[in-house]
Amino acid sequence: MSVAELKEKHKAATETLNSLRERLRDRRSQLLDTDVASYAKAQGKTPVAFGPTDLVCCRILQGHTGKVYSLDWTPEKNRIVSASQDGRLIVWNALTSQKTHAIKLPCAWVMTCAFSPTGQSVACGGLDSVCSIFDLNAALDKDGNLPVSRMLTGHKGYVSCCQYVADDDTRLITGSGDQTCVLWDITTGLRTSVFGGEYQSGHTADVSSVSINGSNSRIFVSGSCDATARLWDTRVASRAVRTFYGHEGDVNPVKFFPDGNRFGTGSDDGTCRLFDIRTGHQLQVYTPHQQQQKGDSITSIPSVTSIAFSISGRLLFTSYSNGDVFVWDTLLAEVVLNLGTLQNSHEARVSCLGLSADGSALCTGSWDTSLKIWAFGGHRTVI
Amino acid sequence: MDSTSQPNGNDRPPTSRSQSNTTSSNYIGKHRLTAIISQHNQQIQLIQEELDQLETLGEASLVCGQLISSVESSTDALLPVTRGPADGGWDRWFQRANQSSSSRHRRRWI
Repeated sequence: MSVAELKEKHKAATETLNSLRERLRDRRSQLLDTDVASYAKAQGKTPVAFGPTDLVCCRILQGHTGKVYSLDWTPEKNRIVSASQDGRLIVWNALTSQKTHAIKLPCAWVMTCAFSPTGQSVACGGLDSVCSIFDLNAALDKDGNLPVSRMLTGHKGYVSCCQYVADDDTRLITGSGDQTCVLWDITTGLRTSVFGGEYQSGHTADVSSVSINGSNSRIFVSGSCDATARLWDTRVASRAVRTFYGHEGDVNPVKFFPDGNRFGTGSDDGTCRLFDIRTGHQLQVYTPHQQQQKGDSITSIPSVTSIAFSISGRLLFTSYSNGDVFVWDTLLAEVVLNLGTLQNSHEARVSCLGLSADGSALCTGSWDTSLKIWAFGGHRTVI
Repeated sequence: MDSTSQPNGNDRPPTSRSQSNTTSSNYIGKHRLTAIISQHNQQIQLIQEELDQLETLGEASLVCGQLISSVESSTDALLPVTRGPADGGWDRWFQRANQSSSSRHRRRWI
């Protein structure tokens, strides 16, 4: 085929693609007959009402000497691992505030950490493009440091996020600045699957976050600086199950909803969104009130740095680059509390959030170098 | 690429083979174009599949209903009003633990 003929084919294919994309966008917006908040209001739902002393800071975990970038709870209740700019991982017993491990990292530029399902190991990754695994029960080396038990090498860019596959200490998923996600076999140190990348369709910019479905660990979602979130099935690495459009800036955090059928995203565009995985519908946009006022230039909109759902999904916790930590009523899309303005709130932005396994506590990690634990200390009505 | 035959002037009929021999950029252009067209066709197929799927999927309102019932049927320790059963462990954060080890001996881990 001649170059001229190929150019014709290319032009035709591009036109078909663009018109199909428009049709898809139009059809989707026709099906969006309501959002969650309008539906819930029509049903007469009222927002969650917190008293001023209901959600309180009940622990302050101090020990890092640099910004906290990432945290993760164990599946068995009380332990947390945190990663900091000080080049260390610290393992805490959140209930007693004691530190059980302080791990000096071979590469100080850490961005993410995760606890293994059994709580025996922790993983971390960062600018070294490697995901390092530490066995918490291993003997210390001659310098008194916990040695790396496995290095997962292969990414061609920084490791921005990592999460162990549920109930499996041997498998882990990472997201990277090289635009791919990888499923690793920790026993061999090899990549089982690569999602996206040069020869497959996937993200077209850095991957910033991943979240594995709590109900079906074969499914995970990734968020990226290409402003999309993508849903993947670990059995099919060649293409995403679905791509979710809507955000107008980098997608930073992504988190599965507790029921496993939806997920939330947060973005540099200042909003969070709730998507349904089965239909692909964007069910709700969470836009802070300040942004809804006209006249805000794009540069003054605070980015969403982290998100987490309470265990029922009724509450959505969101942290922003300006230090706010909003508690949203997920169903009514209203902010019901700002942890950033409460007594004992952090003194700088919160970079990471996570719920304990039983949902009784929220941990926030901040650039002020501390972690805080928040729990419900008010009068609880059980129906 | 056949590097032995040279471009020969305007009297030669423009066959695709001679065009591919004229400049290396044309040859690479063809490969790149073919790859892009193939990628576009793959995306066209995916979007078509998604459009077909949408016909059977139903409106957002159906999903909203499911979401609300899933949320309201779950227990949640952080809500002022929640479905039971409550777990006694929820309030462990407010029970008086052994305070001395945490507040008195705070060391810098440097």
